Amino acid sequence: MAQQALTEAVYYILLSLFKPMHGYGIIQNVNELSNGRVKLAAGTLYGAINTLVEKGWIDQLPENPESRKKEYVITKAGKAVLEEEYSRLKELVDNGKTLMEGK
Amino acid sequence: MRKKVHKLFWIWQLEKEQAWVNDMAEHGYALVRAGRFTFEFDDSEPGIYIYKEIFLKGSSTSSKNIEYFKFLEEMGITEVCAIDYPNTCWVYLRALKEDYPNGIELYSDVESKITYESVMMWYLLFVVIVCGLCSALNYYMAFTPNNGVRWLNLITASGVTILMVIALIDFIKRVIRINKLKKERKIHE
Repeated sequence: MAQQALTEAVYYILLSLFKPMHGYGIIQNVNELSNGRVKLAAGTLYGAINTLVEKGWIDQLPENPESRKKEYVITKAGKAVLEEEYSRLKELVDNGKTLMEGK
Repeated sequence: MRKKVHKLFWIWQLEKEQAWVNDMAEHGYALVRAGRFTFEFDDSEPGIYIYKEIFLKGSSTSSKNIEYFKFLEEMGITEVCAIDYPNTCWVYLRALKEDYPNGIELYSDVESKITYESVMMWYLLFVVIVCGLCSALNYYMAFTPNNGVRWLNLITASGVTILMVIALIDFIKRVIRINKLKKERKIHE
């Protein structure tokens, strides 16, 4: 079965985590990537992070004793999911182009 | 200086209570402790804090909720105090208003909003059932044959029935809100 569509929040969280980042960093990065359009709320991000860790799509890095903030990074499985989603989104855009712009 | 205020809010008055706590903060009284009928405030710079009240599953000291509070703290949102109820807790969060000028919004996706509203909905249903049983028992005792009408039971039953109806109205409002969100989810994230 083809992979189900990712939510916008999950797509952007996975994209952000190519570099290790903590929660607040993810919120800022997603905001910048989407030019201020996607504003992740703390509770939503918390739920998404927990689910992604459970699925093995992101990993929590060993805690740094100097910083109390937990950092996360994308895993190999997460990258594979992201690539599949990228292809799906590309198909949507390509079909949109063909039918709406007649290209 | 600490200021103590006694005030009663019912479970269905979450939004009203939050508005009142925020209004106090606007006037320079920052909430530091809350009980079921008592609120304690410390003097603060007027309008510096913004408060948010939430309902969570489990006790406020459960490891799951403590983890959540730690995470929120990274976002500049602090747990001020909490009141524990059976298997749920009512939590008072606060942040600097300059960080959250439009208020603390914890959920930005439809799914999380549905989950949150569902917790509230089930808790209200529990209140409705308890009130229903309590009033039925009191009505039964008030009109037990051969004993005449017992007025104390009748007054209690009537009072609890009113509470049950108010909780039921709020329960129905939440069900409607959840259904609207579920419809939205079919076409939007």
